[in-house]
Amino acid sequence: MKNTTEVLVLDDEAIVCERLKAHLENNGFQVETFTESQRAMDRLVEKTFDVVVTDLKMEGPSGLDVLRFVRDQMQGTQVIMITGYASMEAARAADYTGVYEFILKPFQLDEMGKLVKKAAKKAMRLRGRAKE
Amino acid sequence: MTFWKDTFRRRGKADAVGALRERLERFRELVNKNNHVLELIADAGEKLGGEYIFDIQYLRTFARELETEVHGVISSLNAITGNRYPKLLDTLETISAEIEAALESREVAPKTSLVVPLKEIDEELSHAVGEKMARLAEISNKGLCRVPDGFVVSAYACQRFLEAAAIEPAVREWFDGGEPNDEALLARRSAQLQDRIRSADLPKDIARTIRRAVTGLKKSSSCSSLAIRSSALGEDGELSFAGQYQTLLGVAPDQVPTAYKEVVASLYASGVMRYRRSGGLHPARGLMAVGCHCMVDVRAAGVLYTLDPSEPQKDVLVVSAAFGLGKTVVDGGGAVDRFEISRDPPHRVVSRSVACKEEMYVVAPEHGIQKVAVARSEHGAPTVTEPELKELAATALHIENYMKCAQDIEWAVDSEGRLFILQTRPLRIDTPRAPANLGATELMSKYPVLMRNQGEVACRGIGSGRVHIVTDDDDFDTLPDDVVLVARSSTPRLAAAMVRASAVITDVGTATGHLAAIARELRVPTVLDTGIATQVLCDAGEVTVDAEENVVYGGRVGELIHYQLLRSSAYAESAEFRMLRRMLKSIAPLNLNDPQSRNFVPERCATYHDIIRFAHEKAVEQLTEGYSVRPSRGSPYVRRLDLEVPLDLIVIDLGDGLRIQEASRTVKIEDVTSAPLLALLDGLTTEGVWATGPAEMDLDGFMSSATRSLSFTTPLAAKPEQNLAIVSGQYLNLSLKLGYHFNIVDCYLTETRNDNFIYFRFAGGVTGMDRRSRRAALLKSILEKHDFVVEGKADLVIARIKKVSFETMTHRLEMIGRLIGFTRQLDIFLRDDSLVEKCIECFLRGEYNVFSR
Repeated sequence: MKNTTEVLVLDDEAIVCERLKAHLENNGFQVETFTESQRAMDRLVEKTFDVVVTDLKMEGPSGLDVLRFVRDQMQGTQVIMITGYASMEAARAADYTGVYEFILKPFQLDEMGKLVKKAAKKAMRLRGRAKE
Repeated sequence: MTFWKDTFRRRGKADAVGALRERLERFRELVNKNNHVLELIADAGEKLGGEYIFDIQYLRTFARELETEVHGVISSLNAITGNRYPKLLDTLETISAEIEAALESREVAPKTSLVVPLKEIDEELSHAVGEKMARLAEISNKGLCRVPDGFVVSAYACQRFLEAAAIEPAVREWFDGGEPNDEALLARRSAQLQDRIRSADLPKDIARTIRRAVTGLKKSSSCSSLAIRSSALGEDGELSFAGQYQTLLGVAPDQVPTAYKEVVASLYASGVMRYRRSGGLHPARGLMAVGCHCMVDVRAAGVLYTLDPSEPQKDVLVVSAAFGLGKTVVDGGGAVDRFEISRDPPHRVVSRSVACKEEMYVVAPEHGIQKVAVARSEHGAPTVTEPELKELAATALHIENYMKCAQDIEWAVDSEGRLFILQTRPLRIDTPRAPANLGATELMSKYPVLMRNQGEVACRGIGSGRVHIVTDDDDFDTLPDDVVLVARSSTPRLAAAMVRASAVITDVGTATGHLAAIARELRVPTVLDTGIATQVLCDAGEVTVDAEENVVYGGRVGELIHYQLLRSSAYAESAEFRMLRRMLKSIAPLNLNDPQSRNFVPERCATYHDIIRFAHEKAVEQLTEGYSVRPSRGSPYVRRLDLEVPLDLIVIDLGDGLRIQEASRTVKIEDVTSAPLLALLDGLTTEGVWATGPAEMDLDGFMSSATRSLSFTTPLAAKPEQNLAIVSGQYLNLSLKLGYHFNIVDCYLTETRNDNFIYFRFAGGVTGMDRRSRRAALLKSILEKHDFVVEGKADLVIARIKKVSFETMTHRLEMIGRLIGFTRQLDIFLRDDSLVEKCIECFLRGEYNVFSR
């Protein structure tokens, strides 16, 4: 039985990945980061994560593509979507069923930490595992 | 003034009041916009200090919003003053262009001299000389260490040179034309650009100035060879340090201009261009300053880290050293000595490993450097002595303490044993893995917990040191470094001391106030409003403040301290972060301080903050520039206030400020519904505060007043004397001409803490300047004790307080009311400085009859 929450972070800015990784690891999560969406999706095939934190707008497959992919896997993985203000409008247009929560930039790392914790609980529950 | 005369003449009295109302509406608008700008600035500042992730969209929105509001402030000002300050719009444009440049990551060199001696580099010039040189100048000019003598060829000179070499047209053609992102092509362009630089002629004045500076160095420091080092601007500061730009050593004095060109050419090295492109920057747009230093007659040199990044818990400095030039160490090739020195004084050498050093680099006889053999007898000798290592350790720790993060330092010791620092930069490592034992629960079981979760964190971080309880008589200059300041209230006086503190804790205060903003700017870990700090920590001795988890531990918690030192440097700043910093330089600093100064003009506004300050001040001036308004039965807004104290006060109601009866020309205090006015009147009418009856002047006072070219009864300014209060339910603008001095109180009092502010301005008096200055000093002292931020000169006092609760605001206004009454004619009595202290004490004790009047 797994002890720690596993998080995948996808953002085309390396520095965002770094900072999120550092902060989340501090909070006891296990984190893998990607700056290319295709690579992230390849990894998602190999391994089931509890939470995926992804940027919405990226080159290549977008956050929406990642969301659909995760949704289709049906493993209970929760997706947190990072968006900038402008993309919020686009977000309303498309089908975002399955997003646990949107988080708007600028955001505090603390906020993200709390959100990931909550999302992880939901993922655990869906998979019927005991909570830590 | 004439605006009013005209208005009256043209429009008649009833209309004049309407015009006044309109003007007051504009004023209210200006004040609101002003406050909004200050909030936006504070918000952005918070993004820098806190743990935020933001993107360029935020920055663009921020810049746009800000410009719109500042523009609005200027429009309101021009409406109030009849367009007196058209130049402000030009100033706005200039500053907006700077901010635009920052958003586009365009480097623009500030226009400075072509060459700047190291000693002359200060805060203002730091952007002109690049990161590396700015840092070196800072530690040297602050007396932290010795650095080789030298000068910097400024970024402006580089810009001029690049223009002369016609770089921009080529760049535009090749890069902005949409050339493919092709490695081979990039390499070709890189070679072409570098050739262009090498073959271009240095503009004559640049070459001449460089040569003259070199000659000067030769004379003053008997310099026979130089080190030419790149010092790139802004974003590229990173690349300088990564060694991607050129450094040339052993340069003969007459070769300096050529060496300069070679170093500048490295702006276009293919590695550099690739690196920039991958960081989201334009590959071929950059600027650099170039440092030229005397080469030290080196006996030994090397590199020092103020912490072992892989094992910070060892609490040691790590030194690598070789004979001759430090290149051996930096290149990582040859055999070098390694020492570990304890970070705690007396800096014992904890471990040493002396290598067999067969070769070293030295300056070649003509030009450049060369490898030579080390004398056989010296192969196994240690490169540096124990005392030298101790000095190195102490110096390095001073630098680390000053920079507030772990450092990577290049040093050299000359043939006379003198230590020189050649370069210092934050210790670069990958994001440090927070050690498993760093969790608060672990630490709390290991170390005594003195305080936990009290108050609000105003600035995150970790600091440690000896506790010092702040008292009113503190001389902040005598505090040791690394002190943890613990104070009762977050008085702005603390701001001065904060620079040297490793952490600040207060009993009372707000995380949104002035002190909090300074804490974030200085990045000093700060916790406010704890309620109990001064009691709990008074005998604590050494403590460690964890302003992340909001815990104060007894003693030094090594794990936290090391983590913080490493983390601050590995705090890899994203491009957006640096952009915001750069933008804020054109937005936040306040240069225009003194409204009386000759420099208080639109042309001297260098930032948005200057502009709104200027506008606010001028608006206030304009508003209260003598006008005569009489209450009449007809006018629905104007009444005379009936008071027990002999104060003739006219009140204009903007809405909800008064309960007005049609029939009467006067109102009583009971009819006042303006919260701020009520609070102030409460203080003003306090028993004993208002000395009734004419003041008795002593002979001196009388003489000096008589020699002023006014009679005793003429007011200070030849304007109709009028005390005027403009009110609404939540707003008050009060101008009082009392005892021949002039008071303004401008204030907004609501249930929303963040919207509240008080602005208090006091000037003038009838006696000589020294007595008036004493009264001003008295006011300053009392106001500061009540947490106002105070500035002013001579007989002028300007005080502000903001973002405090409704209750606090009410108390402060009441205090101001008492203060106004109390100091009404006090200047007359202030014969000498000792009386100032006496008056302050009496006021604070509530004794208002200091001199039985």
